[in-house]
Amino acid sequence: MSAPLKAYKRANGAWGLRNQVLILPLHSALSSTARAIADNSDGAVAISHDWSGEKDNDLARIIFTLSGYASNPNIFATIFLSIGNPEEEQIIKGAQALGLTRFSNLLLPEIGSMEKLQQQALTIANGYVKEASAEVRVDAPWSAIVLGLECGGSDALSGITANPALGVASDRLVELGASSVLGETTEILGAEHLLAARAIDPAVGKKIVEMVARYEDSINYEGIDIRGAQPSRGNIEGGLSTLEEKSLGAAKKAGNAPFTGTLEFGEIPKVAGLYFMDTPGHDIEQLAGFGAGHINVVVFTSGRGTPTGSAIMPTIKVSTNTPMYESIPDLIDLDAGTIADGIETLAEVGDRIFDEIVHVANGQLTKAERGGHHEFALSRMYNTVVR
Amino acid sequence: MTNPTRKVLILGERDNIAVCLADLSVGDFIEQDELKIKVLNLIPRGHKIATKAIAKDEGIIKYGERMGHAIAPISIGEHVHVHNILGDRLSAEQV
Repeated sequence: MSAPLKAYKRANGAWGLRNQVLILPLHSALSSTARAIADNSDGAVAISHDWSGEKDNDLARIIFTLSGYASNPNIFATIFLSIGNPEEEQIIKGAQALGLTRFSNLLLPEIGSMEKLQQQALTIANGYVKEASAEVRVDAPWSAIVLGLECGGSDALSGITANPALGVASDRLVELGASSVLGETTEILGAEHLLAARAIDPAVGKKIVEMVARYEDSINYEGIDIRGAQPSRGNIEGGLSTLEEKSLGAAKKAGNAPFTGTLEFGEIPKVAGLYFMDTPGHDIEQLAGFGAGHINVVVFTSGRGTPTGSAIMPTIKVSTNTPMYESIPDLIDLDAGTIADGIETLAEVGDRIFDEIVHVANGQLTKAERGGHHEFALSRMYNTVVR
Repeated sequence: MTNPTRKVLILGERDNIAVCLADLSVGDFIEQDELKIKVLNLIPRGHKIATKAIAKDEGIIKYGERMGHAIAPISIGEHVHVHNILGDRLSAEQV
């Protein structure tokens, strides 16, 4: 029997579904330079961010996120652009510890000019791109897939079309031995006891409940009571009756499989299975956390539609309603709105999503990849204090 | 859109409710897969209809999971919403 997948095998045993060369600025002031290098290269990609070396309460979270992102198995090599802060070295060491083997670090103060830095980075990037294109995909097991589940711009149909259909695909993958990660702590609030009941052991269930409680405490701290006003008047008019029902509609992206474990923001799953990761509701920050957690393919369900994509993770967009799919066909890969129109069943759409994930894992480009959508945002817990 | 081949969507095998895919009127008859239901109320698209008789305090099951409980007996074909069910945990009505 032939292997289900073909992927890039990394030295630490992880699998890449892509073979990207990433230009990663380690200071926000180098962000546009990173973009310029990528744009002029033969196929390298870049991200930008807004961290300028501030040492506040979020420092550990930022270092952890960038280290994890730079070492995602979808990356062939990373070129760091540095300005000389001591934390930069920490980020690079962190990335090495997480499996990054091929990298270069270009230090602006050593090189002495932006022009030279750009030239050097471009030469190195093109060299890596050439090496990367010579590498071939080899037979890979189902465990090579580490799927991220995301939704954004949800509508009244999300909970009955795209989300549960994605759940069907996620269940099939987990059953076969792949990993799948549900995020967005905000969205499971109210259904955490139901997810906890699906944990493989009571300790994992307890952790899911604790993660939601921790999030809720931080919200209450800001003076907002999020449970009291749920479901909203608009939700009730749309047919949602309870907070559990609303949250289940989002959590059903993770189907019915048992939860193997929980992950902190950006933490890498160690064994195959279904996980819950504590991520913020903000789509792009969550995507950064998924990248840091070495997720290598993402399915993003949306009711309003979004161009969101990632420099390193193929992101498959699924619409919850057909009119939206038809209005922006260059952004949305699959339509699940057919379920609401009674044309297709959940299982049928779930199977289509499963097939799409497998094709994309094997190299088929998503619409976000073809459009060059490379979004990234750091997630912060605190207000930035410059010291 | 307005003339779906299926009138309701069942999201889990254990479920005792289905989601309406079209606006349903009193007296409409749903005959779909194993279901044979006479609609008892006006039920808007996206809202829930009982596919089994549900006793007071019995769980409301959607996606195979318990999303709340009945606060009154609910007959097959009845609209299932905030007037006859409540979340098991904090919900707007309890706060």
